[in-house]
Amino acid sequence: MVNEEEISEVAKLMKINLEDHSDHVKRVQKMLEYFDILDDANVESEEIIVQETDLGKLRDDKYNQYDKNLLKFLKSYQEKYVKAPKLN
Amino acid sequence: MDLGISALNYINSIKNGEFTVEEFTLKSLERISQVDGKLHAFLRVNDLAIKNAREIDTKIKSNQNVGKCYGMPVSIKDNICIEGSKTTCASKVLENFIAPYTSTVINKLNSEDAIIIGKTNLDEFAMGLSTEFSAYGPSRNPWNADYVPGGSSGGSGVSVSANECIASLGSDTGGSIRNPASFCSVVGLKPTYGLVSRYGLISYANSIEQIGPMTKTVEDSAFLLNIISGIDSNDNTTVDNKNQDYLNNIDAGINGKKIGIVTEMTNPDGLSTDVLDATNDAIKTFEKLGANCEQISLEMVRYAVAAYYTITSTEAGSNLARYDNIRYGYEFDSSGFEFNSYISQARSKFGPEVIRRMILGGFVPSAGHAGKYFSKALKVKSKLTAEIKHVFEKFDYLISPTVPIQPFKFGEKINDPVSFMMVDFNTVTANLTGIPAISVPYKITNGLPIGIQIMANHEEEHSLLQAAYALEKTVDLPEVPA
Repeated sequence: MVNEEEISEVAKLMKINLEDHSDHVKRVQKMLEYFDILDDANVESEEIIVQETDLGKLRDDKYNQYDKNLLKFLKSYQEKYVKAPKLN
Repeated sequence: MDLGISALNYINSIKNGEFTVEEFTLKSLERISQVDGKLHAFLRVNDLAIKNAREIDTKIKSNQNVGKCYGMPVSIKDNICIEGSKTTCASKVLENFIAPYTSTVINKLNSEDAIIIGKTNLDEFAMGLSTEFSAYGPSRNPWNADYVPGGSSGGSGVSVSANECIASLGSDTGGSIRNPASFCSVVGLKPTYGLVSRYGLISYANSIEQIGPMTKTVEDSAFLLNIISGIDSNDNTTVDNKNQDYLNNIDAGINGKKIGIVTEMTNPDGLSTDVLDATNDAIKTFEKLGANCEQISLEMVRYAVAAYYTITSTEAGSNLARYDNIRYGYEFDSSGFEFNSYISQARSKFGPEVIRRMILGGFVPSAGHAGKYFSKALKVKSKLTAEIKHVFEKFDYLISPTVPIQPFKFGEKINDPVSFMMVDFNTVTANLTGIPAISVPYKITNGLPIGIQIMANHEEEHSLLQAAYALEKTVDLPEVPA
């Protein structure tokens, strides 16, 4: 059983502030309890299939000029720099 | 003028001069203003729709080349970007987000002279199956407004079902096209993974989600798939549609085809007897059409919902990390904030379901837990894919009810997360394995719709649409209540 502290710690790492977290924790616990059904699946010897893409199918690896000023969509920027909060 | 006509009939009517694009667009906008206060399919309506319609009428009158859509009004789920207009994902986080570029599917529709009539409601960031998680309030089922329309593309389903537009584009991560198609009695197609470009679709779980059509008829879905499918250099996951015409021979029938009835999907926990009756009736119909139906078992289907929520939550945790209020998010001054608290403040705008899935998405792949959850989920996905590959060596199609239950009342399931997840039981398999699947309206029982799901092998949309068409032609359903 996953406890409340573990879930709260993950929320903190995800930078999610759980002010009233009891309802979230209970629901997440219920979902994780349901996920325990995965323990019954006979998949121990199964290999994980990774999707592979042939390099020949990818677009050419060349620089394409993007002609729109994406910075204008941000409110917190100065000249060509994004303005971010300070790191402590 | 019949606003309930199919796309193909609309095009013929325009070609025959029965009405103009402007007249039809105007009527559609009037219909939206009449019914959408109650149904809330739309988050926004396109102010330029009439202007666009007049431009297409001018092209028609002056014998210029006109695109295949001839100005048909199409609604778009509000997680698909259109340059210069809002794309909110039904989230307060993106309340003021203006898309800086246009998605490939929209470019393709525009190049064929479709009119984007508006953006439709969804569960926030497409996480849900009822639209109850939209930050702007739920959509309502046109068959009975006390019931949910399904989701997450609920607004798209409602807009087509209620004749507010001719067709819509939704996105399907675990059934988000097929579920509202079933609940609203429209056709909903989730294409093979990669057949339709996701460029410009705001990601939730990018390894399995797809854009697809929601339409009044199977032919209309084939028509739209002809337009939106194919390779896109902006999306490296796209596959070649081989210039297939999905409308060609759509009436070929299914005589002699082999259909597998997925046992696990026809008796899941909570299956409604009305849905089971409709499914058994559909099986008899397929047999009358000359198909050979046989029960088959897919062992991994039992674990598919758990695997699906594990994988999608993990991808959501990663994809939604970009909403840090620096690049995306709601805007406020960064001065005075420390880095982490600033981002936390921005994320406080997420709704409850998104927060829960982000927490899950941080938990299930984390050190100490990944072996129990995420790795097993990926192994279930791999084994399920192998099972599917194996059954399609023998069968042409797999069938099941699209959703194990009929539409439910607002609030009925929202407090029980497990019962909520189980609504996805029959739809997630197609997403985890990448195969195409379609929901076909089959029955109205107790005033509410039931859809039948047909699945086919990878890139077998042509054959899939033939089976769907054959089934559709056997049913005669009532008109949606006005």
